[in-house]
Amino acid sequence: MMSLKIFFSLSILISCLISSEQLYENLSSNQIERLNYLSDNIRCPKCSYGNISSSNAPISKDLKNEIALLIEQGFTNEEIFQKMQDRYGSYILLNSIEDEKMPIYLIPLIALIISIFAVTTYTIKKSK
Amino acid sequence: MKKFFAFSFFGFLVAFVYFFSITLSTPRLPNVNLQDGKTIPILIESVDLDGNTINHEALANGPILLNVWASWCIACLVEHPFLTEISANKELTLIGINYKDNLENAKKYLEKNGNPYDLSIFDYQGNYALKLGVTGAPETFLIIDGKIVKHRIGEINEKIWNDEFKNFF
Amino acid sequence: MMTSVYLDFLGNSLLWVATVSSLLSAIFSFQKQHLIARNFIFLTSSILLLASFYLVYQFLQNNFSFLYVAQNSNIFLPVYYKVSAFWGAHEGSFLLMILLLSLSMTISNYLIRNEGFIMQANVFASLICSVYLLFLTTASNPFYVLSNSPVNGADLNPLLQDPLLAIHPPLIFSGYVFYAMTFCFVISGAIGKFTKELFDTIKVWSTISWFTLSFGILLGSIWAYYELGWGGYWFWDPVENVSLMPWIAGTAFSHSLIFSRDKIMLSWMVFLAIITFLLSVFGSFIVRSGILNSVHSFAADPSRGVFLLAILALFTFASFIIYIRSSEIFRGKWPKFGSLNYLLLLNNIILMTILLVVLLGTLYPIFTEILFESKLSIGPNYFSDLITPLTVALIIVFTFEQFIRLRIKTTLLFSLIIVAICLTVYMFLEQAIFISLILVAALIAILLMRLISYLIVNNTKLRFHKLLGHFSVAILTFSILFNHNFSERIDIKISEGDSINLLDNEILFEEIEIINDSNFNGVRAKILINNDFYLHPEKRVYKVGGQITSETAVQTTLIKDYLVVLGDRFQDGSWSIGFSKKYGILLIWMSSFLLLFSILYGGIKRKL
Repeated sequence: MMSLKIFFSLSILISCLISSEQLYENLSSNQIERLNYLSDNIRCPKCSYGNISSSNAPISKDLKNEIALLIEQGFTNEEIFQKMQDRYGSYILLNSIEDEKMPIYLIPLIALIISIFAVTTYTIKKSK
Repeated sequence: MKKFFAFSFFGFLVAFVYFFSITLSTPRLPNVNLQDGKTIPILIESVDLDGNTINHEALANGPILLNVWASWCIACLVEHPFLTEISANKELTLIGINYKDNLENAKKYLEKNGNPYDLSIFDYQGNYALKLGVTGAPETFLIIDGKIVKHRIGEINEKIWNDEFKNFF
Repeated sequence: MMTSVYLDFLGNSLLWVATVSSLLSAIFSFQKQHLIARNFIFLTSSILLLASFYLVYQFLQNNFSFLYVAQNSNIFLPVYYKVSAFWGAHEGSFLLMILLLSLSMTISNYLIRNEGFIMQANVFASLICSVYLLFLTTASNPFYVLSNSPVNGADLNPLLQDPLLAIHPPLIFSGYVFYAMTFCFVISGAIGKFTKELFDTIKVWSTISWFTLSFGILLGSIWAYYELGWGGYWFWDPVENVSLMPWIAGTAFSHSLIFSRDKIMLSWMVFLAIITFLLSVFGSFIVRSGILNSVHSFAADPSRGVFLLAILALFTFASFIIYIRSSEIFRGKWPKFGSLNYLLLLNNIILMTILLVVLLGTLYPIFTEILFESKLSIGPNYFSDLITPLTVALIIVFTFEQFIRLRIKTTLLFSLIIVAICLTVYMFLEQAIFISLILVAALIAILLMRLISYLIVNNTKLRFHKLLGHFSVAILTFSILFNHNFSERIDIKISEGDSINLLDNEILFEEIEIINDSNFNGVRAKILINNDFYLHPEKRVYKVGGQITSETAVQTTLIKDYLVVLGDRFQDGSWSIGFSKKYGILLIWMSSFLLLFSILYGGIKRKL
């Protein structure tokens, strides 16, 4: 009796979270792959970190469902990224390379090249 | 040469510490954009908590304070008295979005704490909230003639109202 | 009745006495009063030990009048988690860190008695200890007491209710603390003189710190993989990055010790020791001040942030003044071109670049947010794109290191290096993952041959543990690349009794059962995979906090892992489950443990 009661309350608690009856059943395997790609590269807007495929927040599941729906309706990846960006801002795109981000790609590379070059020339000079 | 390095290093360190002291005193930007300035999405025929149909018209005219709430949300309970006060004293329509909630619990919640809302949209799956750009509960939107003029993520209180919402009236 | 908060007399006094005693030990060490200083160091650590036991005792007694206990424990918590709840939040973990620091001071004072450098190291270690104790007593005292005590506490964060995560934080803290000890010894050398005894001490401490920090990070990864439920083990989460940075710097430091023994580039070695220590201080500042928001939640408090920033600034300025004023360290020689030391220097440069990548990826978004008010999004892609080629380059360099003493024609070697660099650049531009996989595999083969030839010939010049360590790093890189690019995941909806074919595996969802435990209720699914083995993913609802967590079920095999996560329950009674295949996980753990073993083995061998 006790366990039945617990089960009842548990199922209410857990099923509170569900948002959609569908679970991407209509998608082809190619579309599933796109869904995985998209949800790996969109940040969960409610969480502080992590993408929507790795978070348990309800909003992530909603977004994943919405993306699945958009894929089904024939939107391309770029259009879906754009839609998400329009709604939540560019912070939720995880794979974008904007001009603003160039410094963090360039600084380490430049530092690497300069220091290897400097150390090597200095060593050659010293060893003579 | 050594002196040059020493000085530039110290300059760098001072800048570094200064930067972080600014960071500590600056409030951080929210992770997601607020929906300020956007037109609200079309509300396709929905129901309120009593099962009456609501049309998009209900949201389209005049100043409307749209508040996302749920019976499971603790911060909503915290801001509830303030919402009651606002809806009693101000000339605006307070519309609730009951977000991902159980109908029974939602009604109980309003019975217990009073109902400040002129009406509440029953958004069980969170579809309309999702289109609106809601990330959770509570969130509040000030809508004037179908346009979002102010979006707030998190609870609202007197101070936030005076700082961010008041100047629209 | 209003609840007021005041300080527990005993606990608070213990902390203050420890602070004073630690300051006194710094003063007496400075005056070279050997014996008195040592007694005060001993006193500090025993008082801190007492204070910690006092706090643990309150946890065991369920004394919820203590604010810290009330926030982090409750009646239903099993006893071992009550003990680990001691370091489950900010205040306790800081107390633990200071305790560890003073204990390691006591131990090194006990072991090294008659050397001059120990006194100088004591000055710095005691000062660090006192500064942190001041911070603890004034800004984050764990001994606050509530005037009327609650009946039950809030819960320990359910994520922390896991044996692995119970020991992960203290290991990381120990790693930081040991690096602080190493730093004190290095600084004492920079002020005085690097004697052979000092060098031996530094080596022992650096090995211990390196081992501990690596072990801590590895346990964190293992925990994340089994507990967080989406099959990842490293997320490039800012807090993880912050703990990784001292590790990278420490790795470079351990390597730089090899050449500075011959008085080559001593200044570089000292620089790395300082950087390693400062990065760990920086880590505690940035994590606990709430500048980063992340899954690793520490309650944020701006006043704490100011204090920690002041500590960071103090340590930074002090150590760089010492660094610049020290003349001893700038007398070191420069390595010869093409020598082993030159390759070690290249290795250090690459490690520093990796450090720079991690640092920029973590801090640059904060930088732009504050200065330009634009929130940049740095995803895991940034890190993996840049660090993969760098790591491959690193493996190339250290593979050559293993051969440099064999005197194969250097020209041949360097032409190979150039080919490898071209390939790496190509790989970086094209993102051709297969090339990097093949490259790493080839390097593994080379290292393996070297390992075998070592075992046959037994070349005394080369140390076995170094070869083994580098070999395991190559394997680790290979398995991470493999895992990263070939793992698959799928979500489905399934009812009890259904069977389905997913990713070429037969899956039968047998039943759902109810589980009860002292601190949670939940459901457990019974899922048969390939008619071979059962997986039991769970969903738990914690009794006190009400948090809902998913427990992943994992079946590990040599090549791939099968993971099942139990999702939500649908209205019609069916469930959503996430099924994934992850490749090379076991290989990742095994190679990491091999690396740890070789670090430990190297350390022990040196002592013998």
